[in-house]
Amino acid sequence: MKVYETAFHRRTILKGGAAAALATIAAPAVVRGAEPAPIKVGILQPVTGALAQDGEYGRLGAEMAIADINAAGGIKSLGGAKLEMVFGDARSTPEAGTQEVERMQEEGVVAIVGGFASPICLAGSQAAARYDLPYIVDVGVTDQIITRGLKNTFRFAPGFSLCTGAAIQNLVKINESAGKAAKTVALVHEDGLFGSGLAKLMATELPKHGFEILELIAVPTPSRDLSNVVLKLRSLRPDLIIPSTYYGETVLLARTMQQQRVRPKGVYSVLNGAASNHRFVKEFPEAAGNIMDCNHWFDPRNEKALAVQKRVEATGKPFNYNTPLNYSCIGLLADAIERAGAADRVKIIEALGTSTFSDHLMPYGPTKFENGQNMGAAPVSTQVQDGAIKVVFPEDFANAKPKFPANG
Amino acid sequence: MMRGYFWIIVITLLIAATPLLTSSNTFFNFTVVVLIIALAAQGWNLLGGIGGQTSFGHAMFFGIGAYTASMLQTHLGVNAWIALIAAIAAGSLAGLIVGFLSFRAGLRGSYFALVTLAFAELLRVLANASEWTGGASGLLLKLEPSLANMQFSSRPTFMLLALAFVFISLVITQHIVNSRFGAHLVAVRENEDAAKALGVDVLTVKLKAISLSGAMTAAAGVLYVQYFLYIDAAIAFGIWISIEALLAPMVGGRGRVLGPLIGAFTLHGLGEITKSFAGRVPGIDLMVFAVVLIIVIAFASAGILGLLKKLSDRFAAKGGA
Repeated sequence: MKVYETAFHRRTILKGGAAAALATIAAPAVVRGAEPAPIKVGILQPVTGALAQDGEYGRLGAEMAIADINAAGGIKSLGGAKLEMVFGDARSTPEAGTQEVERMQEEGVVAIVGGFASPICLAGSQAAARYDLPYIVDVGVTDQIITRGLKNTFRFAPGFSLCTGAAIQNLVKINESAGKAAKTVALVHEDGLFGSGLAKLMATELPKHGFEILELIAVPTPSRDLSNVVLKLRSLRPDLIIPSTYYGETVLLARTMQQQRVRPKGVYSVLNGAASNHRFVKEFPEAAGNIMDCNHWFDPRNEKALAVQKRVEATGKPFNYNTPLNYSCIGLLADAIERAGAADRVKIIEALGTSTFSDHLMPYGPTKFENGQNMGAAPVSTQVQDGAIKVVFPEDFANAKPKFPANG
Repeated sequence: MMRGYFWIIVITLLIAATPLLTSSNTFFNFTVVVLIIALAAQGWNLLGGIGGQTSFGHAMFFGIGAYTASMLQTHLGVNAWIALIAAIAAGSLAGLIVGFLSFRAGLRGSYFALVTLAFAELLRVLANASEWTGGASGLLLKLEPSLANMQFSSRPTFMLLALAFVFISLVITQHIVNSRFGAHLVAVRENEDAAKALGVDVLTVKLKAISLSGAMTAAAGVLYVQYFLYIDAAIAFGIWISIEALLAPMVGGRGRVLGPLIGAFTLHGLGEITKSFAGRVPGIDLMVFAVVLIIVIAFASAGILGLLKKLSDRFAAKGGA
C-alpha cells in the first residue's frame, strides 16, 4: 500500500510545475522492459565533512555488496530483480542525513542502510519511520538507537552495552590465560560522556575480577600534548593502560609513551577507533605495536571476507571495519527482500525481524533481532602485531594469539 | 512605514501557500531547516546587524533554547509549549547575563565577538560533560506526534509552525526598526560615543537588544529539537550554528529586516538546487555555498537586499535624469 502512495507522491511533484527544481530530485520514471524493475536501496553515508573518511569506507562496502548480489543474479524470488543504489551524502550532520532520507523516500527506495555516526542514525531512522521505511544501522553504537521502539530500525552491529560487556569479558580471559600477568590498571579517558562513562564502568567492573585501579586520568578532546599524562603513567607503573579516548588522543598517547619509553605489559582500548584503524598502524607502526582494541572487526577466518579484503586492498584502499559491516548489512537486506518475496516495506520489516542471516563477513553467527538489535553481534579483541591488525580473541575467530604481556 | 510589513506579509503568504503547490516532503524538510536557520539568524541580525554588536557565538542561545526545552520535557515531564516559553525566557536571560558582563566592561567589535565565542564554547564543554544534558550521547525526545507535544507527523504542519515563528520575529524586528528604540540601536551602531553624547542610554539599549536576540535564537533552538528530537553538545553549541546565524544576514542584507530569511534561502536553496542538477558529486552544494559567499562579500558587501536597493536607486536616478 505504502509503495503506491509513494509513487503517487512522486507523480504529483512531477506535475507540480512550480517545483521544477524538485522534480529533478525525484527519479526519472522506472524503465520497464523484459527485466523486472530494479529495487532501489538507499545508502546513507557521510562522505563530506568531519566523518568523510569513515563514510567512504562504508559506501565502498555497500557498493561492492550490491555489485556482487547483482552479479550473482539479483533477487531470485523477484525474478532476478537487480538492486539499484540511491546514494545520499549525510554530510556528517543529522540535518543533512534527514534531508537525504526524505529525498531517497521520494525516489522510492525500499530500505536505507548506513548512517555511521549515532546522531545521523538517530535522525535518519526517525525520518524513515514516518514512511515505514526499513532502516539498517551500520555502526552507530549509542544504545538510544534501539530503545526508542521504532519498528523500522535494525542494528546489525553490537551497540555500546554489548561492546563494553564483551570488552571486559575478553580482557579478563586474555589476562587469565597469561597467568594473570596484569594486576594494576590505569585508565586514561576523554572527559566527555563516552570516555568518562566507559572509565567509570571499568573502574567498577575490573576490581571484581582482581584488578587494582591505580588512577583515572581525564584528558580533554582535543589534546595537543599528553607529556604530563605519560609522566604520571611512568611514575604509577601500571601493568595495563586502558585508554578510552578518540583517535587523535590515542595516537598522541601511544606516540608520547613510545618517546618517553613507557612500556606497560599491555594497552587495551575499547571502541577506540585508533588501534583498529589501518591509518594509525601505517603511519606510526612502532607506536601502534601490540596495542589491543575491542571493536567491530571482520571475521579473519571467513573465506568470503578475505576475498573482499583482497579486492579492496587491490585498489589501494585500507580494509577498515566500515567496509565489511556495510557489505554485510546489504547482504542482510537482500536476504530479507528475498524472503519477503516483494519490494514491500512492511514485508521487508517483517522479514528482517525474523532474520537468521549468516552469510556475512562478521564474526557474529546467525542474525537474531531483539527489539531491533542483533543479539548475535559481538565485538572482537584485536591487536596490532607486526604492522597488521589481528584478531586475538575470542579464539573461534582469532587469526593470532594475543601477545600479552607485550613487553617482557 | 507600512512598506516593510507589506513585504513581510507577502513573503510569509508565499511560503505558507507552498503546501498547495507541492506535496514533496523533501521540499518541506528543506524549508523547515532554512526557516530554523532564518529564525536563529534574525536573532543575530537584531543584535549584530541593526545594533552593530557582532556576535560569533549565537550558538549559546540556540543551545540554551534547545537544551532547556528538551531537559524540561525529558527530566521533568513539562508540556512542550510551556518548555518553549521557558526556553525563550532562558535565552533572553542568558542574553542579559552575557550582555551585562561584556557590555558593562565596554567590550566592542572583535573583543565582543571573542567573548561570545568563548561563552558558546564553554557551554559546549559543560553540556558535553554534564549528566543532566546527557553528556556526549545527547538528549533524545520521545517520538510522540501530537499538538500537545509540539510534534507533528506531517512535515507541512511543522513548516507552518516554523513559519509562524519567523513571521513573528520579522514583525518584531520591523516594529523595532520603526521605533525609537530602533533608532537608538542604529545610533549605537553608527557611533557609540556620539549616541551617548545625545543622551542615549547605551548599556540599556544594548542589553535590550541582546536579550531579544537571545530569545529569538533560543526559539530557533527549540524548533530544532522539536523537529529532529535529538541534540548533543556539538549540535546545540557547535560553531556551525553561530556561523549559519551570521552568514544568512551577511548574504541577505545585514541590518535589514528580511535579510536573514533571504540569505538563508539563497545560501541553502542554491546548494540544494545544484545538488539536484549536479547529481551525485559529493560536496558540490558546499562549493556553491562557498562561491555565493565569495561573490556576495566581493561584490555586494551590503548583501542581496543591499545590492537590490543600490540597483533600484541607480535606476531611479537615471530615470529621473
